[in-house]
Amino acid sequence: MKDRFGFDWGPIPGTNFWSRPQIGRRVFFRHLAAAVGGYFLLPHRPMETVAQAAVTPIAKAANCIFILMAGGPSHVDTFDLKEGSWTPPEFNPTSYGDLRFPQGLMPSLAEHLNSIAFVRSVRAWAAVHGLAQTWVQIGRNPTSALGKIAPHIGSVVSLELGPKSEKQILPAFVSLNTGGGVGAGYLPPEHSPFFVTPSGTGLGNTTHRPEGRDDPDRFNLRYQLLLQMDSEWRAGPDLGPGPAESIVFNERARTLMYNPAVEGVFTFGPEERARYGNSAFGNACITARNLLRADLGTRFIQITVGGWDNHSGIYTGALNAANENSLARQFDKALGALIADLKADGSFDRTLIVAMGEFGRTVGPVNAQSGRDHFLQQAVLMAGAGIRGGRAIGSTDAEGRATAEPGWARQRDIRPEDIEATIYSALGIDWTTVRHDDPLGRGFEYVPFSDRDLYGPVHELWS
Amino acid sequence: MEGITGTSRVLPGAAIFFGIVLLAGPASAAEKQVSINDCTFAVNPDGYLSRESRGRQDLFDRVRAFAKSGPRVLAASTVPADQIPRRNFVDDEIFGRLAALGIPSAPLASDAEFLRRVTLDLTGRLPTPDQIRAFLADTSPDKRDRAIERLLDSPEFVDRWTLWLGDLLQNNAQASNFSRQINGRNAFHAWIRSSVAQDKSFRDIAYEAVSWRGNNYDNATGAVNWAVGARTPMGPIQDTYDAMLARTATAFLGLGHYDCLLCHDGRGHLEQVSLWGARATRAEAWRMAAFFSRMRLNNRRTDQNDFYYRSVDVTDAATGSYALNTDYGNRPARRPIGTLTSITPEYRLNRATPSDGNWRASFVDNLIQDPMFARNLVNRIWKQMFNYGLAEPVDALDPARLEPSSPPEEPWTFQTAHPALLDRLAAEFRSLDFHLRPFLRLLVQSSAYQLSARYDGEWKLDYVPLFARRYPRRLEGEEIHDAIAQATGIPGRYRVQGWTDLVLWALQLPEPVEPRSNRAVANFMNAFFRGNRDTQQRSQSGSILQQLNLMNDNFVLSRLRVSASPTLRAAAQLPTNGAVLDELFLLFLGRFPSENERAAGLAHLDKAATPEQRRAAIEDLAWVCINKTEFLFSY
Repeated sequence: MKDRFGFDWGPIPGTNFWSRPQIGRRVFFRHLAAAVGGYFLLPHRPMETVAQAAVTPIAKAANCIFILMAGGPSHVDTFDLKEGSWTPPEFNPTSYGDLRFPQGLMPSLAEHLNSIAFVRSVRAWAAVHGLAQTWVQIGRNPTSALGKIAPHIGSVVSLELGPKSEKQILPAFVSLNTGGGVGAGYLPPEHSPFFVTPSGTGLGNTTHRPEGRDDPDRFNLRYQLLLQMDSEWRAGPDLGPGPAESIVFNERARTLMYNPAVEGVFTFGPEERARYGNSAFGNACITARNLLRADLGTRFIQITVGGWDNHSGIYTGALNAANENSLARQFDKALGALIADLKADGSFDRTLIVAMGEFGRTVGPVNAQSGRDHFLQQAVLMAGAGIRGGRAIGSTDAEGRATAEPGWARQRDIRPEDIEATIYSALGIDWTTVRHDDPLGRGFEYVPFSDRDLYGPVHELWS
Repeated sequence: MEGITGTSRVLPGAAIFFGIVLLAGPASAAEKQVSINDCTFAVNPDGYLSRESRGRQDLFDRVRAFAKSGPRVLAASTVPADQIPRRNFVDDEIFGRLAALGIPSAPLASDAEFLRRVTLDLTGRLPTPDQIRAFLADTSPDKRDRAIERLLDSPEFVDRWTLWLGDLLQNNAQASNFSRQINGRNAFHAWIRSSVAQDKSFRDIAYEAVSWRGNNYDNATGAVNWAVGARTPMGPIQDTYDAMLARTATAFLGLGHYDCLLCHDGRGHLEQVSLWGARATRAEAWRMAAFFSRMRLNNRRTDQNDFYYRSVDVTDAATGSYALNTDYGNRPARRPIGTLTSITPEYRLNRATPSDGNWRASFVDNLIQDPMFARNLVNRIWKQMFNYGLAEPVDALDPARLEPSSPPEEPWTFQTAHPALLDRLAAEFRSLDFHLRPFLRLLVQSSAYQLSARYDGEWKLDYVPLFARRYPRRLEGEEIHDAIAQATGIPGRYRVQGWTDLVLWALQLPEPVEPRSNRAVANFMNAFFRGNRDTQQRSQSGSILQQLNLMNDNFVLSRLRVSASPTLRAAAQLPTNGAVLDELFLLFLGRFPSENERAAGLAHLDKAATPEQRRAAIEDLAWVCINKTEFLFSY
């Protein structure tokens, strides 16, 4: 089913299958080649005009690890420490240059502070978990016109930086310990997050266990039989894009099964696990490192780590510095090990790490239940990708209640949309891009209101 | 096998199917590779291609190339559109148009294809082997109509369309803007389910959802959960009025662009999208939203355990209007227009104002008279049955491009290839007093619905909105669950919070994130993009994970054991291998095997020497059926 431009619309997924301006990789490269070649034949080179008008992304990162600290971590106890009578002595607040940091709560990160920047002038739009969590993942208001069709930031990254070779068999966007939630929006399904909850025992459902134990021979026998008995459908009549797409996905799924490269990413032993703290978050960090090492096409990795909604008992529970199995200590150990390993691999400088919640928590003394409640002001950890560490961007007032000094060019609070723009810029993606393939026909801006330059990246991180 | 040439070292006694070499017995140690064309593949001692060889892309390419010459499952070849029998006005429109354009139509689907399709589309379930056998043996001319009646009256119909209406009305326990909680969701579900069961008119469904008052945990007033879903935090109360209009207009009128208009005029924004929308103004949208400006949502503590006062009373105030006085929240500032500081209701079409103090009920009076009400609902129902709306997208209709008597000015075109049909269907739905079952009967009785999915002539993208063939619909996660559960005779057993009885069938679950009590099964189904009735819409997209799940997930494999499955056990007791194969195909795929499938299947069954091997062969074939391309589709 080729149209007059030579586009094959057949494999294009989705409901509005004939109206999507989506092209296959092969066709893309063919047109790319024609465009590059044709460019030099043109008397006036149009790209030069475009280049003048466009923004210049930082483009220091090839990958992004986005850590969603679901529940909203207390900024004044972690990334924007404010000491007071409430601060437990085990926090051991320590000065690292201009940074005050709870060394006792996060000892591993403390060792890497010179490559970490804390963004402290960040303010959420809403203090409602679901709304704000969706907000930081799509970089826009979920109740806005495009909220319902908006893709995850990682899906846009997948679209922009998707597979470049046949070896890249894993999806560009892998989401660890997230389970479900925000997906590819209106973008084609190959940009959906590939949801995995890694346990170190391989990728789920890539082995065949008909009797409870792995039986590759039985699988091979069955798959051969399937190819024979399904041949009339696989090669036969054109039944439209749905069945055609399903056949392609079946073959791609088959390539992930009993694949040593894939198994290597998702398999790790007790020693490794212990070094990362024997936690679900630790397992996800090991997997993220392995994904980048294996270079199987994954560019954007989300890790979700919940449990920060500490309305009560904050210093005896999640933020208990004395208990090495508390959430904050587990978080610290795993993220510290990840940073150390990425540095050892040499991929730290090509990988942007962002760790943030959907909002912050109330400041000053703790509440009657010894906890902290929802609060708009928050702080974000950023590292890697050439970010200049050992410092903070922006500052808050004495209590951490509001931004005192924005610390960046726009001289206002940093919003989720600005973080989104920062991620795109770091990855070399023009955050002002507007796509015109959205089902509402309205035009989809990667970062909302880019036509009015309402939001933009925090390039001060690199200066 | 025709199409394979250059086979050099194929062993004696080998059977070749589409490039895969199967050996009748173990290969001797000397014979460790075979060649097909000029491609050499290693052979395992058990006679099958080795794992490495099987993973090779060139092999897959060859499999496809060889199979091109194979026989076909689906009967086919296109026919002139005027030769298709016309059952009702739907056919007059569809085939009249095709004939006028000289576009051939796909032929009618076979009886087995029809029964599987109509059973899946009306009830979400597969036909049983007994039903298929009886249907195929029946020679009476009205057997398709009688099957339709049986399905419309079946309890499974209620399950399937409760899910559909639950999607339309976005019933869930937790949404990003506001949570109904489990209690509210259950009350809403009970109301939706009873509305479908009693075939309630959409007139009444709209009245109850949009205008009822009461507590949202109360089953007697479950419909108020529609209003509860509009609650918008982190903004002024006008944001909630706006959300109520945007959601109501989208679901009941197909006018999703109110969501845009409630922030800004259409001019400068919607010119490329909607002729109506480009001319509509924010003030007009405010007048529509003002119908909800006396609606009040108040939290109440219903019992001692409701610590957070989470249940909601939906009431109406006696006074109030839509004030233009906001400068924060989810929408741009609302500022006075000249001296006008507040807006009173006015309906979009006739500038009607409320007839009495009950503004929400007045809104529904106008809503059901609005031509878009019937058009939107028939378009959405059509999309569910035909897998593509007459007008797309179904939630962003353009009223200025749907009126058959007044074509839109250049360069606009009608939003549908069939404006007259959409209008006629809307009139028919209105004359049926907006009842679902009789309207569905009209659709599925038509030849247009009963066309084959296969189209042998040249297919052009232009044909898509003309419905010259069936567009296969990928089954929804719940349908896939139930198909596997039914075919293996092993339904689920899920606990749903607030319900006493266990749930056996996924189509009976109250929302797509369930069963929360069984994450493994929920995840199995979520891979098929069930959505969350909030930020994620249900989608028919495919994925790698879906295929991995179907091939390897415990939900599937644990059911594909003769020792566990009553249907497989019964099949294993059939006397001949031919009967076993027939039974498996009827159970899982709703049809008898083709010649080619029979040969391959029997070869596999006949190899089994012991009862244990025979059981294993039956399990293999059941696995193949579930992983065949067609299993995932209502085609």
